[in-house]
Amino acid sequence: MHAVATLALWMDGRQLTKLAPVDILILVLYFVLVVFVGFYAKGKANTSEDFFLAGREMTAWIAGLSFVSANLGSLELMGWAGAAYQYGILAAHWYWIGAIPAMLFLGIVMMPFYYISKTHSVPGYLQLRFGEGARALSAVSFAIMTILMSGVNMYAMAVVMQTVLGWNITFSIWVGAGTVALYVMLGGLRSAIINEVLQFVLIWAGAALIPILGLIEAGGWTNLKAQIATNLGSSDYTHMWTTLGSFKDNPMGVHWTGIVFGLGFVISFGYWTTDFLVVQRVLSANNLRAAKMAPVIGAAFKMAVPFIVILPGLLALAVLKNPDGSTMHLVAGSVAKATGQHAYDEVLPLMLIRYCGPGLLGLGITALVAGFMSGMAGNVSAFSTVWTYDIYGAFFNKTASDKHYVAMGRWSTVIGMLVSIGTAYLVMNASSIMDYVQALFSFFIAPLFGTVILGMLWKRATKAGGFWGLLAGTAASIGMWAWVQRSPDALRFIALSPNAQSMAENLYRALWSWLICVVVTVVVSLVTKATPIAELSGLVYGATPIPDDGATTLWQKPLFWACVVITVFFVLNLIFW
Amino acid sequence: MDGGKAVMSEKTEISIWFFCGILMLAYGVVLIATGIMEFNHPPANEVLLPFLKELHPTLWWGVFLTAVGGFYSVVFRPGKQ
Repeated sequence: MHAVATLALWMDGRQLTKLAPVDILILVLYFVLVVFVGFYAKGKANTSEDFFLAGREMTAWIAGLSFVSANLGSLELMGWAGAAYQYGILAAHWYWIGAIPAMLFLGIVMMPFYYISKTHSVPGYLQLRFGEGARALSAVSFAIMTILMSGVNMYAMAVVMQTVLGWNITFSIWVGAGTVALYVMLGGLRSAIINEVLQFVLIWAGAALIPILGLIEAGGWTNLKAQIATNLGSSDYTHMWTTLGSFKDNPMGVHWTGIVFGLGFVISFGYWTTDFLVVQRVLSANNLRAAKMAPVIGAAFKMAVPFIVILPGLLALAVLKNPDGSTMHLVAGSVAKATGQHAYDEVLPLMLIRYCGPGLLGLGITALVAGFMSGMAGNVSAFSTVWTYDIYGAFFNKTASDKHYVAMGRWSTVIGMLVSIGTAYLVMNASSIMDYVQALFSFFIAPLFGTVILGMLWKRATKAGGFWGLLAGTAASIGMWAWVQRSPDALRFIALSPNAQSMAENLYRALWSWLICVVVTVVVSLVTKATPIAELSGLVYGATPIPDDGATTLWQKPLFWACVVITVFFVLNLIFW
Repeated sequence: MDGGKAVMSEKTEISIWFFCGILMLAYGVVLIATGIMEFNHPPANEVLLPFLKELHPTLWWGVFLTAVGGFYSVVFRPGKQ
């Protein structure tokens, strides 16, 4: 019983567990390899093309895994496991309908335009299509968003380290940020991509045992569903669609229109097709076919991520127990602080500790750290590129040498990381990491998607239309957010229901801001002079001959694999309907 | 898979898959050693959850990582075309 008493003591104390020497060895091995990769890649990062786009030498598999891994930050690992505990399997919508269609659309429809325009960034594409105004607006908002997101990642990592291991928050922030800054500064995007692929593999190696052992303990999926229904007195937590007919019928307080149109269309397409953080990884592909295949490969792996993120949250609803054997109830972070209970966001570490002894625990903790560092690296490398190309190079120093821009990329990596550290300390006062990130998404991403998609698919869209649409959409999003902050009752107007909860607000705010962006873009375009077709070559559908991607057999065609992935996507939704 | 080719320029060449393989191999070896030591001294969580004790997850996960990591380390070792 000594071991049980010890475990109970950990669970009751301020820190959940402590690392054995073998766990520390595993963590140290990871940090050593990550830094080695940084120095290794430094010798390959001599030109701006090398530093910011990894020399455009990456294969489809590497670009695809990096594409997914850059998104596996704090939001994915901690936030969505906690959301699965809080809202049930509805959280998986953010992985499936909230990602897969958009990723496939990026690969099959949009990637040819990004790739053949030879742009170095999404703001760079906007400059080619809509001029400097749209680029400036997009670049500045993106730079702000990435820095804030990087800060969120840092803070999340530090909280995990404090909660699980009792480590000092400041120590965790500075060690994590310092390591990421070092390897991105040395090797640029190439270094970030190598580490992201490494981190993706590590995340699976460290986290896959939790759902496997959890399902064994629960007695399989059917028994798990039964236990959750018994513990919660409702079967709503294990259905993805049947409860979405009304805001009142599901734990999240959302409606299927919000999931399909707000999440599945606007937020998802906005994030996966226009957020430079992820698009940058695909731009590093070594040819057009690789650029089209990378998002398809990424989508296939993305569909599997709920296994290591959502399933642990669901398992926790059934198997997590207090030391006295009673069912453990996790609570919101603010409540946890007051009552001493565990918070939703702690569900993944709690499950890790439950199933993993020394060695496996170190691997799991390393996987969490890798996920957080991957998110930070993605943000800081994208920030560095947009700052150097689209802000500094576009407005402050247009004629510097290539060497100067590489140096600026390295310096902006370090400075960006320092600003992120400042942000991390600010985020400590935010009530919820999830809400914070969702708010950021809808400020910038949803309107940007409206601008980019009209720019790519509608020849009549003009420079003025693109700029004013983007500005109006962003302003509307911020305005709606401020309205609800000032008067929570305003939510009923934005989400069109008095029963809507905060998650629904984010979905509908994104939808409205996208619609406002599209309407303003269309109206302004129609009253301004059309851009000559000749100027749209390489940028717009219908004005651009799409080059052959070189695929000769069915197995080489990105479209074929996209069809396979979307079929699996539909099957999964039907299974968990 | 085409990712098997070294992705750096012509002088490199350490494949990304080699980095992945060598890390998994190292972790696998560490876990196997830990798992063997845990045979007679199960950790606290395995005492709390007896079904874990029967499964020896540390040992078998170590074997799995060693096999996968070893395969990738050999197939994508530096210098191999």
